Amino acid sequence: MKRSFLGVFLLALILAINIVTTQFMVHQFFYEHYTNTLACVALNLFLFPVALLIYKKEIHKGGKKYEQ
Amino acid sequence: MTDRKNHIPFDEDNYTHNIERNNERMLDRRGFMKTLVGAAGLFAISSLPWGTIAAKELMGLSKKEYSHKKIASLKAVAVGDSVDFSFPGEHDSALLIRLSETRFVAYQNACTHLRCPVFWKKEEDKMICPCHHGEFSAKTGKPVAGPPRRPLPQIQLKVENGFIYATGVKRYEA
Repeated sequence: MKRSFLGVFLLALILAINIVTTQFMVHQFFYEHYTNTLACVALNLFLFPVALLIYKKEIHKGGKKYEQ
Repeated sequence: MTDRKNHIPFDEDNYTHNIERNNERMLDRRGFMKTLVGAAGLFAISSLPWGTIAAKELMGLSKKEYSHKKIASLKAVAVGDSVDFSFPGEHDSALLIRLSETRFVAYQNACTHLRCPVFWKKEEDKMICPCHHGEFSAKTGKPVAGPPRRPLPQIQLKVENGFIYATGVKRYEA
């Protein structure tokens, strides 16, 4: 059975968004744009359950755990 | 292949060839996804302190309260004159300048270079630090010449019943 890399791709995408958001959050904090900071925090917090959900959905896709 | 990997080179205490399962060290698809989810969790947790402080700032919890202090009466300060006072503490010396009929400015006058007292020079329209010839603009408190690089902390003022009061110190903004 062919393994599915959709989950890997989506999770890598989430990681990329996380990195960009965190960078933006820290910069906005030092510019004292606190509303933007809070929005970034909310996005970061929201992305974690999404990542977990993707992981749960994708874990059983594809073949056996170790393909011999 | 499997035999070669599991071969123990000599018959002694075995510390090096103790990985039993094949592929145990391999990062497979699931392991990789697990790592990515962990990273997302880490990002979420690490953004919490920033959010807490930002929310605190937005709600104004970090704003300091200062007790108002009378500096001088309006009549005592002519246009272009300055008055020395101290605010908020008795050792935080400060300088009030009357720029025009209606415009007053006040700064804590410790030079932002090495904390020498800055004084107001009316003829040059500047505040001058005598130690290293630092100069500050009276209108904004920003350094215009010499070694200082940061503006003087501005003091907020209020004019009431013919007297000038100091009401607070502006937060430092980079």
